[in-house]
Amino acid sequence: MPSMNAVLFISFLLFSVGVAGVLIRRNVLIILMCVELMLNAANLNLVAFARHSGTVNGQAFALLVMGLAAAEVSIGLALVVALYRKKDTIQVDQINLLKG
Amino acid sequence: MDPLLASIGHYMFHCFGLLAVAGALALVFSKNAIHSIVGFLLAMLAVAGCFLTLSAEFLAVAQLLVYAGGIVVLFLFVVMLVEMTKYKEKGLFQIQAPYAIAVVLAGAVVVISVFWRTWFGPDATKALTLSPTLAQGLDVANQNAQAVSRGIFAQYLLPFEILSVILLVALVGAVVLAKTERV
Repeated sequence: MPSMNAVLFISFLLFSVGVAGVLIRRNVLIILMCVELMLNAANLNLVAFARHSGTVNGQAFALLVMGLAAAEVSIGLALVVALYRKKDTIQVDQINLLKG
Repeated sequence: MDPLLASIGHYMFHCFGLLAVAGALALVFSKNAIHSIVGFLLAMLAVAGCFLTLSAEFLAVAQLLVYAGGIVVLFLFVVMLVEMTKYKEKGLFQIQAPYAIAVVLAGAVVVISVFWRTWFGPDATKALTLSPTLAQGLDVANQNAQAVSRGIFAQYLLPFEILSVILLVALVGAVVLAKTERV
């Protein structure tokens, strides 16, 4: 079994790479994938703490998070397709109708 | 678990974790969207391996089915639908990329400074073990699927049902959003 520190550290690295990807990339698809990556890092933490406490709660929650992530990505990809039909682009810096 | 398996499980987790981080870096920093998806696939497979070494076998298989089987294919379909080639020359990263990297690194420094206090502490090398008093009859390590199903269908039944409604809403919403408009 790996130590708790190792699990937390790997999960932290995955999460920070996901945050960096969301902040720096222009492509909506890559941003969605980075969101998935962050959810996976959280799942890794949940599983590690479930293992640590000897109960199954963390694993059940990780399963629920996985289903929620699937719902989120399907909605996100439908939005991407609708956006591409409307604006002919999926670069987030060109979707500036609100002039934010 | 076999002693040999237990002894290599430690290193297996490190291998899988570093593989996951490598896949994530490939996802963020590759120019081609298909290469990004391959990096994402690598990261998801490696996270499934991490779940296996943490003895969450059911979650590992679910991860393989949902992510490597479903979500990656969805992303590939959308890449096929959306023409990517015309933004090749527009630049990969946002204008604020240096600031964003700086912010992420600052957060990383904060978290690593927290880690630094526990890294060499007394519990640093203690492996994750089951405490038998807490397992409460659920043999989490040996009968993972049974334990998870008992957790999800008995203890967390209401969140599970809410999740099924959310999935239905997402299904209908995705169809409505992505359907072509007819005049």
